[in-house]
Amino acid sequence: MVEFIKEVINIFTEYRGYFLQGIGYTMLIALSGTVIGLVIGLITGIIRTIPTSKNPIIRILLKIVNAVISIYVEVFRGTPMMVQSMVIFWGYAFMNNGATLPLIPAGIFIVSINTGAYMAEIVRGGIISIDKGQFEGAYSIGMNHWQTMLHVIIPQTMRNILPAISNEFVINIKDTSVLNVIGVTELYFFTAKISKMTWSIFETYVVACVIYFILTFTITRLLRFIEHKIDGPSSYSMNIDEDDVKEDR
Amino acid sequence: MSKIISVNGLKKSFGKNEVLKDINFSVNTGDVTCIIGASGSGKSTMLRCINLLEEPTGGEIVYNGQNILETKNIPAYRAKVEMVFQSFNLFDNMTVLKNCMIGLRKVLKVDKETAKKEAMFYLEKVGMLPFINAKPRQLSGGQKQRVAIARALAMKPDVILFDEPTSALDPQMVGEVLEVIKKLAAEGLTMIIVTHEMAFARDVSNHVVFMHNGVICEEGTPEEIFKNPQKQETKDFLSRFMNN
Ligand SMILES: Nc1ncnc2c1ncn2[C@@H]1O[C@H](COP(=O)(O)OP(=O)(O)O)[C@@H](O)[C@H]1O
Ligand SMILES: [Mg+2]
Repeated sequence: MVEFIKEVINIFTEYRGYFLQGIGYTMLIALSGTVIGLVIGLITGIIRTIPTSKNPIIRILLKIVNAVISIYVEVFRGTPMMVQSMVIFWGYAFMNNGATLPLIPAGIFIVSINTGAYMAEIVRGGIISIDKGQFEGAYSIGMNHWQTMLHVIIPQTMRNILPAISNEFVINIKDTSVLNVIGVTELYFFTAKISKMTWSIFETYVVACVIYFILTFTITRLLRFIEHKIDGPSSYSMNIDEDDVKEDR
Repeated sequence: MSKIISVNGLKKSFGKNEVLKDINFSVNTGDVTCIIGASGSGKSTMLRCINLLEEPTGGEIVYNGQNILETKNIPAYRAKVEMVFQSFNLFDNMTVLKNCMIGLRKVLKVDKETAKKEAMFYLEKVGMLPFINAKPRQLSGGQKQRVAIARALAMKPDVILFDEPTSALDPQMVGEVLEVIKKLAAEGLTMIIVTHEMAFARDVSNHVVFMHNGVICEEGTPEEIFKNPQKQETKDFLSRFMNN
């Protein structure tokens, strides 16, 4: 047992350069993928909840856009990310006479559009669950759909879906490992490489296991802390001078 | 007295269900019109049509001489003809102050300092100045409704539509909201109020409309409607109310 622990620590210290680089890329791809995926989710969510227009051209256009979004969501949720990676990476090479995408941007792209498909559903569910009265309150003082979304609906939706966003982020930290099939140098890629150099396969993967767990555990706690922060204090100040009228952009 | 809103031949159906059948009435500047009638008679639907939250299936709604069913700029119209809801519909993500500032800032594009000053002015009017930093979830129903009224007033509307503003309130909070509305009536604000508070309707309004099954069954001054109703339906409705 002591031998085993010694070997695990040994592997980590000896190859920490590789591990740290792997952690860096894994976090970079997972974080960018989650953020860009969320942006995709928000945009599709806002589009999908535009009220039906009286203008027939706009109505048909919206129908088409909505259909495209639905197909995107279904396809990317219905196929494994590992397969998507291969199709996108080699599909690009196929259409560009063998020229391949740079690996890290390719990884970020794949995780982003995959996450976007899930976020689209999360955001839509979040928007639908907001009380209809919040929309009507905003419309009744003369706000348009865009203003209503930006100032009233999306802030409330964001708070409600924060746990689901955290969840997606944690999933992405773990699932980024599938990108090793196209050779992206994330944590799993380096772990596999190191294991072939040390031949202490078990110990090497234990190191990776511990690292993945620390990453996901810390992120989960951090985001939960942020959730509580957003909820704010349960009491309010009666002092007029102390009010904070935060302006959003 | 000039006509500010007139509803001509207004019709509204939900699918096959015809909820409003040929509604005609008009409101002059400074009028306080109370709309009474049984549940399901179409009062909310009519108010929501006037605010364009529902799209009428027929007829016209003329505001300042223009048929607003043809207007391209619905938000601009809504900023002038405000609505106060039974369920308050305050923005849950904003403080009381911000609830009253957001329309000034984003719709009327007023600068921040002015918006704050005006919001505070109307919050003071409804007695909610001590609560400017509270979030809606920290307020009682009566307080929420007073903030909702301040939010509407801050837009300096020509007309405010009230849809049963006290129906979601505990009985002890009804008074504080009705007091505010009475104050606005005294200041000459044009209002259309759907209410089940008959004593209030009698005291505050100069025009009462009784709706029954999607039509205006009878209308007149409070005297005429409450003291001397002509139609059998009006008599039945009022007697049921007085007995409760
Ligand atoms: N969005 C809707 N869809 C279908 N039916 C509706 C809708 N809103 C109201 N109704 C129907 O219209 C009728 C009138 O409702 P409403 O205007 O709310 O009456 P009131 O406010 O006088 O109680 C009711 O029968 C109600 O079921
Ligand atoms: Mg109603």
